[in-house]
Amino acid sequence: MAAGVASRVGFTLDEVEDLRIAIDELCFSLVGPRRRTGTITLRYLLDTDELAVEGSGRFTDGLGNDPVVSALSEQILAAVVDECVLSTGEDGPEFRLVKRRRPS
Amino acid sequence: MAFDGKERDELRRKFLDYAETRDRALRDELITAHMGLAEYLARRFTNRGEPLDDLVQVAALGLLKAVDRFDPERGLEFSTYATPTIVGELKRHFRDKGWAVRVPRRVQELHLRLAGVVGQLSQELGRSPTIGEIAQAAAVSEEEVLEAIEAGHAYRFTSLDAPSGNDEELSLSAELGAEDQGLIDSEHRVTLSPLIAQFPPRERMILHLRFFEGMTQSEIAARLGISQMHVSRLLARALAQLRSQAEDDG
Repeated sequence: MAAGVASRVGFTLDEVEDLRIAIDELCFSLVGPRRRTGTITLRYLLDTDELAVEGSGRFTDGLGNDPVVSALSEQILAAVVDECVLSTGEDGPEFRLVKRRRPS
Repeated sequence: MAFDGKERDELRRKFLDYAETRDRALRDELITAHMGLAEYLARRFTNRGEPLDDLVQVAALGLLKAVDRFDPERGLEFSTYATPTIVGELKRHFRDKGWAVRVPRRVQELHLRLAGVVGQLSQELGRSPTIGEIAQAAAVSEEEVLEAIEAGHAYRFTSLDAPSGNDEELSLSAELGAEDQGLIDSEHRVTLSPLIAQFPPRERMILHLRFFEGMTQSEIAARLGISQMHVSRLLARALAQLRSQAEDDG
């Protein structure tokens, strides 16, 4: 899904791949290492030269609202997107990432 | 599937022989003799939406491993020994696959074709091509391009299905010089070493170049002499493995 949106912004294949890795990594951090029950919502915000993705998790299992991110995850995310913030929202863990197109 | 006394003795003898000689033909006989067990175990997983044929193939792989590792001197019945190995292989197949979908032949073929298209475009443009550019060069729609790329990620979990990039894999191991190896090893001894160090040299190299050196997938592909899509598959597989380990530990 993200790839389709990304292609609208004219991202290159490398950039689309990076985005996919970032979203996978971030969704994983919303859920954490244990299985959880609930929903993850993703919002895609397109601009001419950039794509922002906002994700939030709403879980019904009472296991907490903090995102879980390892040092390696942070390293990976820093390499693939331009901006990335993980936070504890009121209703659950959240993230926001921004990826900008390289000028061609 | 139960063997009578005479058959059991004969099989035991074959196992002892195989343990010594590692004769391929003997191994195949042992596998064939126990395929019933593999099929029986595979059947237990048919309610998860996968065709029995695929499951039997996975189970057969587990059976192969069990035959190779079985020590007839230990006093265990082979089926007792082999069952957890085969079941383990089947469970891992599902765990790793996640939501993977059956990929139509048309999409598989496009996936293979795109590797060349992407490579050529990258060279012509001097950068990674956009999806639109790939679609135009391959004379397909953007949707089809995205579908074919996504299919590559479905392949990452089953070595049985992986498109034959075998030539690439061989040349890649040869490429890795001692210098590169030393670089990777020293970097990761300090941080995160157990996580990255578990992978074979090729994957370690790619992980290092992507996430610690900041090279793009295309740049890594050019450096290693393989296609960008191959790099993508290897990365995706390594990351999936890291995540499933985090799940196991957490």
